[in-house]
Amino acid sequence: MAVLLPYLYTGGVHKHGLLIELMEDLGGYIIQKVVTGTEVNLIMLVPEKDVDIVKKLSKELLGILVEAPLTGVEIAVVSPTLASHHLPHSACDVAEYLRHPGANTNMLGLARGMGRRVSLSMDYERKLINEHDIAVFTFGSFSDCITKKKPKLFEGIEIPIVVTGGPSDLKTEDIQGADLYVGNIGRVSHRLRRTEEVNALENLNQEVSKIADSIRKQQARDPLAVLPARVMKEIENQVPEIRTVLSPAPLTLQLDGVRVKLPYDQFHEKIEKLEFDEGVTLSELANISRSKMKNYILIKIKSKSDIGFAI
Amino acid sequence: MDSLETFVVESAIDSETEFYRKIIEDNLASLKLAPAIGRIKVVLRPEDSLFQMAIILRDVGTRVTTIDIADVETKPVAGEVVISIKKEQYIPELLVKLWERYGKANISQPDRWTVTISTDKPAEEAEFIKEMLIADPRHRLHENLVDFAIRVTPEGFRVRYHLYKGNRFVFVASEETLEREWIEEAGAMLDELMEGGKK
Repeated sequence: MAVLLPYLYTGGVHKHGLLIELMEDLGGYIIQKVVTGTEVNLIMLVPEKDVDIVKKLSKELLGILVEAPLTGVEIAVVSPTLASHHLPHSACDVAEYLRHPGANTNMLGLARGMGRRVSLSMDYERKLINEHDIAVFTFGSFSDCITKKKPKLFEGIEIPIVVTGGPSDLKTEDIQGADLYVGNIGRVSHRLRRTEEVNALENLNQEVSKIADSIRKQQARDPLAVLPARVMKEIENQVPEIRTVLSPAPLTLQLDGVRVKLPYDQFHEKIEKLEFDEGVTLSELANISRSKMKNYILIKIKSKSDIGFAI
Repeated sequence: MDSLETFVVESAIDSETEFYRKIIEDNLASLKLAPAIGRIKVVLRPEDSLFQMAIILRDVGTRVTTIDIADVETKPVAGEVVISIKKEQYIPELLVKLWERYGKANISQPDRWTVTISTDKPAEEAEFIKEMLIADPRHRLHENLVDFAIRVTPEGFRVRYHLYKGNRFVFVASEETLEREWIEEAGAMLDELMEGGKK
């Protein structure tokens, strides 16, 4: 199986179709295409050995090609509530910054996440968070709260947990249940743009990328039955209705699945019966369930060891 | 009293004090409260889930009537009252009051400094308009202060006490039932500020 590397192309709209065609020829995948005015952002998976060809073409088109290590990762940015205390700064700044290296982020405000003694999360919220690949919890400025009171919000979360907070001297080990702590991103009422704040966001991106890498490495030992990007492409080909969806990412890639932003009741059979050239259907390769998010469809791909083969 | 001549934030951990100082500064700026506040002291005790704040306000000006911000003339023949505005900042409030009383159809604005009202009794109406209350900075200040207090308090601290009397404002918030000592402590903070509180 060819190794695919994630890249982000930024350039003019003019002739960017050449890049899409090239990607088809090389067997790579376009994950997301965002056109803003005269500019286009393409997030893509490029076969390792063909990266030079893509680099050459993007140079000819006067665009910029950068590595995007968080491509195909869906991240939940969890804020204690959606009150003005946490939004738009710093939770939105965190979410926005995580999108730079290619991640798809969803903002999630808990209903009763605020406070020390009274904070709690609901079963529904935990299930929704668990649908993602990584959860980033944006906490406040008090080390006492972060180390002693807030970790109860992690109960029932099965995916890697990243915590952001104000104090810069806390260590990951101090916070029970967290896989990573990033400081200097506490509660603020202004846009994060001072040097140490931007550095902290940069640091967050790097560390989250490392977590995503380690999940990928783990997956490499027992690969998925089919690449999520391939499922995505087949859905684009076989379920034309996906083109009518207005969400920014109608098909959201995850490390081990795809979120399909179509109503479950109407489309789940069509998705289950999705056919691959090898003669298998998607329902043999993956669990297809109703997403906790807006009645969407959630595809979680089984591993090779589970079903005995991979395509 | 100068604006913000005393600005103290206290907490057990220095770095956390800095975070809160910044949050308070940002919120003061976004609510344009800084000129109205003379002295402010905030004490944070996260281990007790406690937030205390005492503020001494500066003079914020008196109530504004039409005659303070504009000249009012009558034109009996045309059946009009002409308001020539001197201070633009209160136009929105003035217009809202006028629309309410005369209806939008009867009010025209030939230019940004003039508002004319057509009415049957120009002389009487002119007298009324002259004395009409346009804005009460104290009222607006009160609204902003409450908003400010809620914005700077940690979100989970939903049990609140506040006192607003003359130019003094005390605010205590916690997650637990408020204890009498906490309110008294905040009162003591206020007394300290009254005595000068310069550090």
